Amino acid sequence: MNWRRAVALTLIAGPVMAQNPSTRLPGRVPAAALPAIDSIIATAVAESLPTEPLVQKALEGSAKNVPPARLVNGVRRGLLQLRQAHVIVSHAVPGQPVPEGHVAAVAAALARGLSGPIVERLLAMAPNEPPGPALHAAADLVAHHFNPDAATDLLVEAHSKGLRGVRLLDVAVAADHELQRGGGRTPAEALAHVRAMLPNVPVPEPAVTRRGTPGS
Amino acid sequence: MSPIDPRLQEALDGERDPGELPADLREAYARLISAAELLESTPRLSVANRVMGEIRQIPAHVPPDSPVRRMIRWFGRGRAVTVRLRPVWTLALAAGLFAMLLLPWQQGSVPAPGASEGIANFVGHFPGARSVEVVGSFNNWSRGLLHLSDDDHDGIWHAAAVLPAGTHEYMFVVDGERWVPDPLAGRYVDDGFGAGQENSLLFVRPAAAQP
Repeated sequence: MNWRRAVALTLIAGPVMAQNPSTRLPGRVPAAALPAIDSIIATAVAESLPTEPLVQKALEGSAKNVPPARLVNGVRRGLLQLRQAHVIVSHAVPGQPVPEGHVAAVAAALARGLSGPIVERLLAMAPNEPPGPALHAAADLVAHHFNPDAATDLLVEAHSKGLRGVRLLDVAVAADHELQRGGGRTPAEALAHVRAMLPNVPVPEPAVTRRGTPGS
Repeated sequence: MSPIDPRLQEALDGERDPGELPADLREAYARLISAAELLESTPRLSVANRVMGEIRQIPAHVPPDSPVRRMIRWFGRGRAVTVRLRPVWTLALAAGLFAMLLLPWQQGSVPAPGASEGIANFVGHFPGARSVEVVGSFNNWSRGLLHLSDDDHDGIWHAAAVLPAGTHEYMFVVDGERWVPDPLAGRYVDDGFGAGQENSLLFVRPAAAQP
């Protein structure tokens, strides 16, 4: 990896993401899809929903040369998930303004297959904390065939014992390691084993490249 | 050469009336005068005149000497240079060069991430691939910004980048046209475009949270 590329990427990512959505799409998104996507984004603005996930979806589909009709459907599907996420966040944290970051994180969790009730439980667990790590930890566990309710129970208990943010992801990693350790351990047994070690779940070793660079 | 008759000379010089000359001298006088008149009527041609005439006929196509042209000529012309080195500076220069050679080469390192950033490593096994790049939400799904490299040509491509902490969706693009999820990502999400394609998910830990 050339370090100049990394610096350029770091410098490019921030300012570009801060631009007005309507100025970022022309030239990247097919002209045939642009009016419909603009309309979807305007709807999101009118409903106080975050627009960045929709812009990213439009850019992604354009980069992949997705045909215009499917591209618009993909962005529209994103709008529906954001709407659903907004309802869930409003319900889980009543009487508070709905942070855009919460809505975007919940929409991403819904896209990964988490159910509304599970998301609500995790939001209620820590209403004033960024929900991304807890939601992704739950989605990781569900993706690895752990029972969703049991997995959420484990995360809520880990939070009650002081684990926050990315440490909740470590809980999911530990459960997965226990499941893969062999010896015919069931998912329920793996969760129980991790629950017993709370809050001292191991921190995963950072990845190390052949050049010795630590990574995530 | 026979000397000219003094009477004929005086007549040519205008000091004597040619009519007073004897008949043979009068005839010689007339031939000489006609020869002189013939010479005066013919233009005098010389080598110098012809050369200058040719030069004047050449069109003046050489542009005037510009300062840039003069500077280029100045740099291009060989010059004698005298270098006077003090031994102490020569030794210091040699020591500096030697120290640079001993220091570990840092080409592969990435800049230190900020508190809300982390380092992401991308590794993929693509034997025979000509190029591999990472395209994702962290670079607005733009091509050409983050290329993986395979310096030892073993088919294992890798790159590292400083990214904002949090979740990012991405894919590898192999040989500029084949979109491939990262087989080592462990987390995937349907891309929502109805073709069953999945993006890889990456959770970048903030550097402050690294053990």
